[in-house]
Amino acid sequence: MSEKVLVCNSDKCVGCRICEQWCSMEHFKVVNPVKARIRVIRVHETAKDVPLACTQCDPAPCLKSCPIDAISRDEATGALLVDNDKCIGCQKCIKVCPNGAVSILKETKKALICDLCKGEPVCVKVCPEGAVQYIDVSTMDLPFKSKAAKEIALAGRDK
Amino acid sequence: MVLGGITGKILRVNLTDKKVTVEATPEEAIQSFMGARGLGAYYFNKEIAPKTDPFSSDNKLIFMTGPAAATLAPGNNKVAVTFKSPMSNTYSWSLCGGFFGPELKFSGYDGLIIEGKADSPVYLWISDNKVEIKPAGRLWGKLIPETDKLIKKELRDDETIKVACIGPAGEKLNRMACITTDCYREFGRGGPGAVMGSKNLKAIAIRGSQDISAAKPEELKKLALEVYGILKKHPKAQARRTFGTVEMVEGINKLGFWSTRNFTTGYFEEGNKLIGPEMKKEVVVGDASCYACPIACGKNTAVNSKKFGKVSIEGPEYETVGLLGANCGVSSWEAIIKATEICDHYGFDTISAGATVSFAMECFEKGILTKEDTGGIDLKFGNGEALVEILEKIARREGLGDLLAEGVKIASEKIGAPELAMHIKGMPLATYDPRGCKGMALTYATSPKGAHHMVSPTMGPEIAGDRFADSGKAPIVKETQTFMAIVDSMALCSSMRFALSLEKQVELYKAVTGLEFDNAELMRVGERILNLERLINVKEGLSRKDDCLPERFTKEPMPEGASKGQVVDFNIMLDEFYAVMGWNEDGVPLKKKLEELGL
Repeated sequence: MSEKVLVCNSDKCVGCRICEQWCSMEHFKVVNPVKARIRVIRVHETAKDVPLACTQCDPAPCLKSCPIDAISRDEATGALLVDNDKCIGCQKCIKVCPNGAVSILKETKKALICDLCKGEPVCVKVCPEGAVQYIDVSTMDLPFKSKAAKEIALAGRDK
Repeated sequence: MVLGGITGKILRVNLTDKKVTVEATPEEAIQSFMGARGLGAYYFNKEIAPKTDPFSSDNKLIFMTGPAAATLAPGNNKVAVTFKSPMSNTYSWSLCGGFFGPELKFSGYDGLIIEGKADSPVYLWISDNKVEIKPAGRLWGKLIPETDKLIKKELRDDETIKVACIGPAGEKLNRMACITTDCYREFGRGGPGAVMGSKNLKAIAIRGSQDISAAKPEELKKLALEVYGILKKHPKAQARRTFGTVEMVEGINKLGFWSTRNFTTGYFEEGNKLIGPEMKKEVVVGDASCYACPIACGKNTAVNSKKFGKVSIEGPEYETVGLLGANCGVSSWEAIIKATEICDHYGFDTISAGATVSFAMECFEKGILTKEDTGGIDLKFGNGEALVEILEKIARREGLGDLLAEGVKIASEKIGAPELAMHIKGMPLATYDPRGCKGMALTYATSPKGAHHMVSPTMGPEIAGDRFADSGKAPIVKETQTFMAIVDSMALCSSMRFALSLEKQVELYKAVTGLEFDNAELMRVGERILNLERLINVKEGLSRKDDCLPERFTKEPMPEGASKGQVVDFNIMLDEFYAVMGWNEDGVPLKKKLEELGL
């Protein structure tokens, strides 16, 4: 199984939604925001852009909540795969996802979850800000740790 | 044939009889006028009669996207609204970035035409095929961010909905009122918000889920990746990424053509406080992009001011800093950001507002307006608190603010000082003083909607050549106007022109629409749009006398700075311009030119 995970960083995201465009294009050959497995939502109150995408949780709440075992895990990439023949569109996966990363595709009424583009996520390739990364799970936390350390250090300096 | 990029449908909403209809997008018109600004001119010409009162129910708001909108084309986020302007009383359009245009397209429409007038406040809710006219009584009077929030809350707490709305300025028919999208992205100029207010339309909320396909997706993908790459390395694009459009302040002030104290001079001695790096250091807290733009020139700012409290907004951008800052002699970020917040939240154009306040400031300094007139405000140049106080009065239409909300043309005529009002056709000038960059005199004077810089921003080529020359500027202005007509009609952000040369635009247009085009044909489309716009204004009764320049620029030599001593020799320039355009000496397109363009 891959040791890489998809990481979204809202501190870096500027809200251009180029990731959404390419995700939709890659899978459906059209641009359509509701067909993108990654979504960016601008929250005006805090002037923040928040990218939402699947983090391939393990154990995955969506997989556990699925009443008919339509969700499985790809051995090679760790991506959660939806079996469209089985999926009944019951929406349980949408409600349990901690990342708001699941949707329902209107044409099929089946769940839509990031498939990691077979291990080469296109959103990562096109993000102009490096706000979506596909990186080794053992080091994914380090930029966040560094940020926390800087904040603590700066707070100390102010005293 | 079915063109790529477009959805093939135009939505028409009549607010008088509440009729909603869907009609086919005229494909021949797309081939002739492309989209957005060009298509807006096409519909205006067909549907809005000369002499239409801007506030009558016969005026329309014609929202048009372009073929490239919502495709993979980088920076494809612009949408034009075309309308009879209550500021200039001419044909007018205004472009807005952000996300509203692409969302209109995603809802399945190339354009939206609003006509008639509702008898009480309403808002429009468009979600694909579902179009509803909903009551907006409880939203009337609300500021822009509050309106945005309340509508999203009412529509299932959905933050992906895109709202275009007016604030109290639009409701009160402030002629400078804009239509605001995403809280901080405006259809800014010419008063479209006042037209919307006159129709009792508070907002348009859109959410779409339709597919947008380009004719040649693989070619478009390749081109998009190439453009991302070019922009990453382009110094101008990177300066915008770092400092926003405010990156321009330093250069323009050094060159001595930065609008200062109502254009009495072109050099602001405190300008160094307002340059990009200072802004970044003092007030910027984050970056914000428009849809599909790899530059992200938008800057979020925040101040915690003793005088004005906590303020956090998106912006201000370059023009705002020029007009509310230098042109009012104000160099305090706190005051400029508070002033921007008032304009943004009440919903009126920062350029026009800055020009109107700076006019009032000059009147005050000359004793034409007194403290009695201003309600006690010490309206001197450089007084940031006075700037904020007078804007609050304009926003609420109180005291002198009621008159100033009519815009600088009407206000200056009533005050009896029209010579101090820096406008053309009623529309105030942007922040480039034409004495230091002469082509901009033609840009402002010949723009169909009054003084607007983006009709042909010739600063680049002029600075590279002889910016003080009067003669010889007409061909540069013609070429830039034609090129911008294409950019605006394709619905690309003007910043994309750093990466998209004419050749690249042709490639882009071909990949999106599937049409076969070469450089000359694309330029012909641009020229056709310019000539149609001209014809609309000729029918309105406009002529050479309206293509004029405030006398300050032709008679008062620039007093200081790097453009010292310059005045504009305007008549020579105008003769040359009409000649290169193929127009007669009164500015009317010649028959030969119209036939050549198929008009």
